[in-house]
Amino acid sequence: MKALDRTVTLLVPLLLALALIAMDGFGPCEAKAGEEWLQAVGPRNWSFPADHGAHPAYRTEWWYFTGNLFDATGAHYGYQLTFFRFGVRGAIENSGNPWQMRDIYMAHFAVTSIGEENFSVAERISRAGPGLAGARTDRMEVWIFNWTAVMRGPEILLEARDGDLELNLTLEPKKPLVFHGENGLSKKGVDRGQASYYTSFTNLETRGFLRTGENSPAREVRGTSWFDHEFGSNQLAPDQEGWDWFSLHLSDGRDLMLYFLRTTGGVIEPASSGTLVEADGRAHHLPLEVLSLEVLDRWKSPASGGDYPGRWKIRISRCEIELVVAPRLANQELITKGSTGITYWEGAVGGEGVSRGKKVTAEGYVELTGYAGSLGGVF
Amino acid sequence: MRVVAKSFLRYMARRRSLSLLQLMGVACGVAAAVGMFFSSQTALSRFSGAVTFLKGRTTHTIERPAGPLGEDLLTLVMRDPAVQAFSPVIDRKIILTGGEIIRIMGLDPLLDRNLRDEFHDVSLFEQAAGSAGISFFTSERGVLIDSRLASRLGLNPGDAMETNRGTLEVVGTFSTLTGEPLLLMDMGHIQELFGLRGKVDRVDLVLTDEEGFRSRFQKGFIIQSGTQRRSALNEMLRAFRLNLEALSLLALFVGVYLVYNTAMYAVASRRRDAGILRALGAGRSEVAFAFLAEIMLLGSVGGLLGGIVGYFLSYLFSSLIGKTITNLYVSFSVPLPSWSWWILLFGVVLGCGASLLGGMFPLLELVRVNPVRAMHGFPVRPGKTGNVIKLGSAGFVILLVSLLLFSLASLHVYVGFAGAFFLLVGASFLTGLLVVVLAPPARWMFHRLGGIAGRVAVGNIRQNLGRTAVAIAAFMVALSMLVGLGAMIGSFRTSLVYWMKSQLRGDLYVAPIAEISVPEDFYREIKTVEGIAGIDTYRNVQITYRDTTVHLAMVDASVLQRFSRFLWLKGGNENWEPVKRGGVIVSESFYNRFGLGSGDTIVLEGVAGPVPLTIAAEFYDYTTEHGLIMMDRSTYLRLYGDRTIDSLGIFLAAGANRPVVIDAIRRRAQAFGLPLFFQEELHARILDIFDTTFAVTRSMRLLAIIVAFFGIAGAILTLFMERQREFGIYRALGFSTFQVAGITVMEGLFMGLVSFFLCTLVGTALAWALIKVINFHSFHWTIFYYPVLKPYLVAGVTALLASLGATLYPIVRICRTYPQMHLREE
Repeated sequence: MKALDRTVTLLVPLLLALALIAMDGFGPCEAKAGEEWLQAVGPRNWSFPADHGAHPAYRTEWWYFTGNLFDATGAHYGYQLTFFRFGVRGAIENSGNPWQMRDIYMAHFAVTSIGEENFSVAERISRAGPGLAGARTDRMEVWIFNWTAVMRGPEILLEARDGDLELNLTLEPKKPLVFHGENGLSKKGVDRGQASYYTSFTNLETRGFLRTGENSPAREVRGTSWFDHEFGSNQLAPDQEGWDWFSLHLSDGRDLMLYFLRTTGGVIEPASSGTLVEADGRAHHLPLEVLSLEVLDRWKSPASGGDYPGRWKIRISRCEIELVVAPRLANQELITKGSTGITYWEGAVGGEGVSRGKKVTAEGYVELTGYAGSLGGVF
Repeated sequence: MRVVAKSFLRYMARRRSLSLLQLMGVACGVAAAVGMFFSSQTALSRFSGAVTFLKGRTTHTIERPAGPLGEDLLTLVMRDPAVQAFSPVIDRKIILTGGEIIRIMGLDPLLDRNLRDEFHDVSLFEQAAGSAGISFFTSERGVLIDSRLASRLGLNPGDAMETNRGTLEVVGTFSTLTGEPLLLMDMGHIQELFGLRGKVDRVDLVLTDEEGFRSRFQKGFIIQSGTQRRSALNEMLRAFRLNLEALSLLALFVGVYLVYNTAMYAVASRRRDAGILRALGAGRSEVAFAFLAEIMLLGSVGGLLGGIVGYFLSYLFSSLIGKTITNLYVSFSVPLPSWSWWILLFGVVLGCGASLLGGMFPLLELVRVNPVRAMHGFPVRPGKTGNVIKLGSAGFVILLVSLLLFSLASLHVYVGFAGAFFLLVGASFLTGLLVVVLAPPARWMFHRLGGIAGRVAVGNIRQNLGRTAVAIAAFMVALSMLVGLGAMIGSFRTSLVYWMKSQLRGDLYVAPIAEISVPEDFYREIKTVEGIAGIDTYRNVQITYRDTTVHLAMVDASVLQRFSRFLWLKGGNENWEPVKRGGVIVSESFYNRFGLGSGDTIVLEGVAGPVPLTIAAEFYDYTTEHGLIMMDRSTYLRLYGDRTIDSLGIFLAAGANRPVVIDAIRRRAQAFGLPLFFQEELHARILDIFDTTFAVTRSMRLLAIIVAFFGIAGAILTLFMERQREFGIYRALGFSTFQVAGITVMEGLFMGLVSFFLCTLVGTALAWALIKVINFHSFHWTIFYYPVLKPYLVAGVTALLASLGATLYPIVRICRTYPQMHLREE
């Protein structure tokens, strides 16, 4: 317990600093933040491939890759590779020195070996420095040290290695890019600027290699990935504790994204919503009122003490979807004391149910934040 | 048995003065040993502790052979499969207003925490990203300051801190385990502060596959493992450690000698009491036990006292040792040794052990004593000539052994130390013989000086050789140390002065001592000043040669050829010719360490790979014991591409208007914030460093004097106590109080004289051994022996004052009691 206290005291300061920066955007400081950072307000004139790259005029940005993979023997793996960019200052006085800190880059890399019931996590943090980390603005190329996500033509190449944990994947979109919310403007609350620009490749055919531990060979794997790219300046209000985010591939070809923002007291933020992507790639915005989420079970983390939902029933009557979804492995919690300092649960899930009257199975990823400490105001 | 023991212990109370003197003797000896031992242990262990602390999880470091490293290397390092973590480091010095030189490290905390998490845990991150915001990252002049330094300078977060590089802003404090004052600055800001944009000094690494990494970063890099760095550090500190160990041993030796001496007198003075007790029917074992109890009491109380005094003494030594490490190696302050009960235990064990050793022979005799003889107070060893000759011969043999050891000192410098030890022991054995030999002329001399009292005094010393020889020996050892260390330091200092005058002949020096570089712009600008005949650009870096650290100096060969007068092992200033063409010269220590001299080729690792260089000549040098390679600036730039200049030596033209030229240089130096020194100032600073370095050694000399005083005082007081009966005879013979006091004074003088006489020989021999054997084998350099008078004078005065001082108390007693004295027993 003592170690945990210590950890918390260590991490929190950096996050606090980031929080301080982030908080500038709220309340009385809004004007100031508004000057320094652009806000996600109004429709955006999208331009690709540049919009797959970084948007340094906005304070926060992330490139989020998750997926379910299978090797030749049928062994099942989940992976997550996420790159974050947090703007520290909108402008720096002496821009000639690359060590001048404008942004902090962080990354999380996790692999779930479902058969072995093993979950491994690695994390990175760095400023841009002389080429240590960064993100291009003209196309998708984001990296921290030797972890990279690069888009070459239609394909996205992922590389990450931390000790014996190694991933090398090629992702090929099978559906067009999805713009969530209103043409990509995804509302997170009622305040001005409390939103992000949010796009996804929901169905990426994935192939490559994965190494999961000491003495383990590089296994050839195949599967399906999901990519989210989101940027904005102050999505989360201080009273928003966290969110429950779902990305699911249904066996009938439909893909489903849902997020539920929780405010203090467990109330779901009305701006929460979802997107359904049909097998042919057409996307439909799903407002909160058509979504129903019921928590069937809970899991308490022995490491952080966080009390997470552990199984859900999802019902979207408008789309004729009813699913029961459960984690593939209970403990897929990330305690990221070396980077963001946020403790959250993100893991491979699976389920079954009905879609348009037909029995379907589902697989995907779920992210649960704010259950081991509030995230209010951080993002 | 208890009765016997009680009677012994009561005696101690009765003879308070003698007991106190004995106690002080034991305490002083123990204090010297404890003080030296603990402070050197604390200093050395804290030093390596600090290194380990700063190293963190680092397994390897990568750097350029000389000069900083382009930071573009980081993008290669970060992708390398063998690298688990990496952290670039800039490691420099900064001068505070007031002159203190402080280490300042530039880090990226985000990278560095993977290597030094203890370092960053609470402190750095709280400060860097705590409530004060993130000013560490954002304030261009922001520094974190270690809390000890902050409280010493009275600085708080938000305060400004004036340095030679402008005002810095304290953004927070942190605590370190190192004894070294330390500033931390963000990498981006320190690069700007030191004009190092795009460069770092080294990259600390955590490697999983050393071989693989080395194969990919072969050319132009120095990759050192933690073990290599540690051994390089050990190598660097080897000579210093040895010095401290030697001083500790010396302190121990002197301390034990004093305790031995004291215990021996304690026993000897009890002969008569032992005789009476035996005559009254006390058994041998009872007497032995009682006596042991007394010695143990003396040893333990003295040891306890000595432990406490030694602990406080270690405070003094610690600061001296800290200063020495700072002067010679890196900025480092030795923390005050922390109190431990082990110190007391150590003191008691030392006190009792040495007391037992000292009391053993007298004790054996005491047990065997013929009660009647003992009751008459006959001396233990009447000083038969046969005994004296036997001991003297043993002394000669031991001296021969010491000579043999000196000749074998090349095996290990400890052999040399053993030789010095045997020299002192051998000479001690000769004291009896010397007294016998010197007694007839001395009797004549003292007779002339003090009449019959003089003759009696010399006779007394000669007669009581069993007592007096040991006291004289102890005194002689202390005085010899005084002379030996003094003559060694004196010779070394004279050699250094001679060396400075031949090598450092510039009229002016810019930034010569601190590790502050001279901007090249300044060098270019100053070259245009009229009236300057030449400027020597100097740079000194540590490089690795054959897996150990050596120094490399960059100079301007043509300037030095014209203006300096190097002391060459062979030849003259024509030796510079090949240096101008790309050759190198090496210091005597390099030559002796590696056996490489003129004509040989050394291969140095340059940025573009190994480069063979021919040695043109060897020169005398005292700047580093690790060996110095000197090359011309053109060669240095070709090898390393490092344009840093540490200091400039400026030679004025013969006909120049000195004040005008100096003023022009001074104005330009001021504009660059560079300190300017005249030649004399530089020489004075070097001598200052030298003197601080030997402060520990000098304080050992003071200890030697104290030990000497107690030794001689103990001997004289015991003689005085034992001869109470004789005073009755003197009284009966009509000796006046003045005459009897004169006898005591002249006894002291005679002992002092013999000790001094012997110490001039032994001290000179010791100095020779220290210079030619021990110094040579630990530092690989030649110190020229210069006869220095001062240590001999100091020893003479010490001998005179100590021997006279030691007689003060007995004289007071004589004046008080002699007039009423009767010949009671007869």
